[in-house]
Order: sequence, then C-alpha cells, then structure tokens
Amino acid sequence: MRLVCFLTVSIVLKVFTTTYADQPVNSTLAAQLAASSCKLVYESYTNNNWDLFVSRADTSERVNLTATMEQHELYPQVSPDGSRVCFVVDQGQGRQTIRSVWVMNIDGTDRTKVADHARQPCWNPDNKTILYLPQEYKKFNIADFFTKGIVYYNVDSKTSRPHLHSDKIHHLYNPCFAAHGKWIVATVHAGMGYKHAILLIEAEGPRIIDLQINGCRPCLSADGQRIAWGQDDHTIVVAELDVTTETPKIGKRIFHVRDKQNKIYHSDLSPDGEYISLSRGPDGKGDLSKIGTHEAACEMVGVYASNWNILVVPLSLTKSLDLNDAQPNDYFSITSDGNSNKEPDWFLSR
Amino acid sequence: MSMRFYPRLAVAMGQLFLVGLCLTACVQRNDLSTDDVQPQPFVSASGVDMVFLSGGTFMMGSNEGDDDERPLHQVILSPFVIDVHEVTHEMFARAELPNPSRWQDDPQKPVESVRWRDAKIYCNERSLQEGLEVCYDETTPGLPCDFKASGYRLPTEAEWEFACRAGSQGDYVCTTSDKLKSYAYYNANSDNQTQPVGTRKANRWGLFGMHGNVCEWCQDVYDPEYYQISPTLDPRGPSTSAGDVKRVIRGGSWKASVRMCRSSFRQGQRTGDTDACFSTDYCGFRCVRRMAIETWNLLQKNQVENEVTTPKANSSDSK
Repeated sequence: MRLVCFLTVSIVLKVFTTTYADQPVNSTLAAQLAASSCKLVYESYTNNNWDLFVSRADTSERVNLTATMEQHELYPQVSPDGSRVCFVVDQGQGRQTIRSVWVMNIDGTDRTKVADHARQPCWNPDNKTILYLPQEYKKFNIADFFTKGIVYYNVDSKTSRPHLHSDKIHHLYNPCFAAHGKWIVATVHAGMGYKHAILLIEAEGPRIIDLQINGCRPCLSADGQRIAWGQDDHTIVVAELDVTTETPKIGKRIFHVRDKQNKIYHSDLSPDGEYISLSRGPDGKGDLSKIGTHEAACEMVGVYASNWNILVVPLSLTKSLDLNDAQPNDYFSITSDGNSNKEPDWFLSR
Repeated sequence: MSMRFYPRLAVAMGQLFLVGLCLTACVQRNDLSTDDVQPQPFVSASGVDMVFLSGGTFMMGSNEGDDDERPLHQVILSPFVIDVHEVTHEMFARAELPNPSRWQDDPQKPVESVRWRDAKIYCNERSLQEGLEVCYDETTPGLPCDFKASGYRLPTEAEWEFACRAGSQGDYVCTTSDKLKSYAYYNANSDNQTQPVGTRKANRWGLFGMHGNVCEWCQDVYDPEYYQISPTLDPRGPSTSAGDVKRVIRGGSWKASVRMCRSSFRQGQRTGDTDACFSTDYCGFRCVRRMAIETWNLLQKNQVENEVTTPKANSSDSK
C-alpha cells in the first residue's frame, strides 16, 4: 500500500513538474501581483479578430473590452488616471486597410473615433490629450514608421491641433509622453536626418535630443525617472533618465531582460515602478491566413505573431534576467495561449 | 524487298519531329546574340525611363571568378523591359511608400535599406499605377511571383546580368577596372554614401548604375551552386524554400570594392522581411517587366498614335 501511495505521489509530482517545466512556478510572485493595484491591457487575436483584453496583474478578472467581429482593435494605451483607453482600429484587408485612432472608457463604453489614417496614440499626463501620428500617406502600409507629423487631440473638446513643428516631424513611431508632459520620447527611422534613433522631442517646442542609445520602442516610467527600451530583438534595458533637467540624458543602466531564443518587445513599466511587462515569442513574419493581419516582422502592429505571449518581470530582484535560464518568481506569464498577445500597457485600477 | 509499316515507330517519329519543331521555334525566338540586341529606350506609362531588350543568348557567370560564379554557361532570355536607373527616392515617394533610406538629401539618389518584400510591394504599386496585372500576390505568404503577369517585378539574376553586361564579356562594362570610376560609384569614389543616379556613364544599352551605388535585389533565391544545374532558357533561380532564405543582390554598392562590382559577382542577402528595423544601407533595386515582341510593337504603335497608356496584358503577351 505504501508503495502504491509513493508511486502515485511520484507520478503526480512528475506530471506537475513536466507540465510547468517551461515556466517558473511563481506562487510568491503571483501573490504579489494579486495584491497589486496595477492592471494590464493588451491586444490578442481570438476568433479571427484582434481585440483588447484587460486583466488584473495576476491574470484574474480578464475581460474582452472590444469583442467586435467587424473591427480589429490594437495598440491600447490607458490614460494615466486609468479612466480611458486610446487604441487603433484596422478595418478592411491588405492594402485596403484603413487604420484609425479611437478612444473609449476603460470599461469599453463611449467609443469615439479620433482620426482616420492615423496610428500609435499615447496620453498626455493631463488625461485629456491624446497624441497620435498621422500616416505619411493615406494609402495603408504596415511599416511602423509610416508617419508624418504629430497631432494632439483633446478628448473633451474633440478638437485637434498639430505639434508646433509638426511639419518637421517625420517617420516617428512608438511615442510616449514624459511624466510632466514636457517631452515626448519616440523612435525615428529614416527620418529627420537620422538613420535610426531614440529621440526626446519637446512637446510644445522645437528641441529634439538624440538619447544616443541603440534600439527602439522606448517607454517612460510614471515618475519620469526611468526609461525602458528594446536594445535589439533579444534585449530590453531599463535605465535612469531624468527628464526634469534642461538637457535630459540617459543615466545608469539598472536592469536587463534577455532572451536569446525568442524576440522580446513592447516593454512597459508599471505605474508603481515594481514591474516591467513585455511581449515574447519566436521570430516570424506573420500568418496571412489570419483575417485582418499583415505580413511583416511579427513585432509590428497588425502582424499575427504566432506563439507570442505577455509576461511580467519584477524589477526588484536582480539586475538582469535571462529568460532562458529563469527561476521561479523571476517572471509571471499573463497569457499562455500564444494568440499573438502583444503591446501590454499598465495602468492603475481606479 | 517489301516495305513494312510500323505504326508505333511512325507515332514516335512524329512526336520527335514535333518536339524538334517546337524546340527550333523556341530557339528561333531567342537565338539573338547580345550583338543583335537592339535596346529601345522609352518612357513607361508612369513616367519612368526604361529600355526594351529583345532578349537573346549570352554567357552568364565566370570561370575566373568565385566558386559561386562557375561555370560560365549559356543562357537564353525572353524579351523584357528594364528601368534605366535604380529606383530613386522620388519614384518611391510617387508610389506613396515609406522611404527607409539612410540618405534622403537628394530625391535622385537611389533608395536603400529596402527589404526584399518592400521592393516587391513597390513593383506592385507601379503595376497598379499603370493598370497592369500585379506580379506579386500580396494575399499569399511570401508574396509569390507570377511571371506570367504583365506587371513589374524584380529582375531574375539572369536578366540582371544580361542587362549589366550589355554584350560585354569581361568583368565590367568597361574594358578594365581602371575605367570603372567613370561608370560606377563604389568605395573608391562614392564619398561613403549613395550618389544621384545617372551621374556616371551608361552601359552600351543605356542603363545607368548597373555597377555600384546600391546593390540590386533580384528575384532569385541565392544558391552558390545553382549555376551547375540552372536551365538554359529563362532561369529563375532555385525553387523557393521555406523560411527567410537569402536572395540574390547584384552589382556592388557605394561601399563595395572594385571586385564586388564585377558583372558576374554574386551575393546572397537576408531579405530583412522579419526585421522591423532593417537598415542595410546598400540594398536597393530596379524593376523589370516581361514584354513579348508583339506587345512591344503594339506599344510602339500606340505611342506613335499618341494613345495614352501601356496596353494591358493580352494573349500575345503570353508565352
């Protein structure tokens, strides 16, 4: 009888460890995330449709915010006060696609179109103004840097105005406001005299500062003291950045996430400064059999990224994390279905 | 001695005769040597300077070059038209595509940092502008090429070398490498960047920049051993294999050595199709379009009669 019990327990343990062998068993981290007041919104491709999902940081209370079969919602960005979310909508297929910027309440109600032929919105810290990037031409193109200018949209008055030097802004992507609203950080590709760079752009002025860091897709922390960006396909870096000075510059690198096997992209720092979220998955160029998707590098908006998932890494434990050699509590998976889960954005639950 | 009739033998002889007849006809259409090619310059319906090349026979590769250039072998090509210049910033803007180029200070510079896929999208844009059938199917993974379509596409490696050589048989269109500076921008005279197209000498057929400035994407998958098995008539490269295979780039660039600018020099290049930040600042291209002699004659007739556009594909355009 003892032998039978021993064997049964052994088999159960074996099954358990095998099932979870590819992911750290992170009950402590899960408990921490369950207690967090931060939530995540992200895009996912389900039932032949891009939708936006929101969940608590421990994956509980997951809700499909959009659930629209006729439209594809992508690239969500939540206002700093957590009340509203702006995003892009793709309608049509292939070169007939029309990409537009929209805004709605965080519960999915009061959905309003901001602009057609526009992309990559983000919020001003005033919680009223959305920055978006008009497309370079009306005709659709999947390239992330297919933009020209910067436009500000006031969600209360529903009015728009261009950046003071919008005519000089060319080929930006992935913009993000600094905490006090004075600076915008963004990537530029083959524009404004740069081959490829991460820039600080004065929100209401002419100044542009090259941060002199390799990579793309920067994001700033809510307190304006840190920046995270993708240094290459396989490395995300967090560094100090003081945007309150007249000449902001990158400071000490304080955290690295690496993954030699998969691409890691779309980093976002949590409002409480405790975590970084990111998307992770294999290299690829999409799956055109998926309706409403495009063929290009799978980290790009609108490209189906097979087996991509979102995970959360605590910033407090170590100075660097190799995801191929991760231990329990090193990271926590927000999604595991591989349904092209990308572009996570943290926000504080109201 | 009585004569006997063998039906099977008669059928076989008949089949052999028909095959021979077909082959003869085929060769007759393509038996022009490069000396016989009469390049005909014209302006396409979308305003691009092009040259009609009536096809013909030429010797491709080199027995003196790198291993992947061997053996020197005979190739027969069908007629086609080809851009006089590499695709410029101005042309890319006209197609309303995002220009990924590093140097954007002159609209007459060739585009570079172009992914293989984006070069194909440009070809389709130009086809649509002119009301032609697109060659690349954008709804199918990898954007496969329909060589029978009437629109624009990237040149095959054979078409590219045929156009580059313009009847020459040495390493360059000029007789010696010393004279290459007159024909090409490469590391000896490029000032470490691209230069405006059409500012060096053209080759014998009126094509500029076949050597240097930017390497030019071709349609073919790169296989260093392909010449050992390639067909004689209209070779199109190895059959496409899955994944992000290397594609052929030709001609050398602003940063290339004189040796890399040789007419027969071959390079394989990752397409960049899975790289959002592709910035290989020497990859450009030019377009070709197949055109049967009959279609060319019709086009000429239409232009003479001052009619508006290039004719759409018709039965005479099919082979």
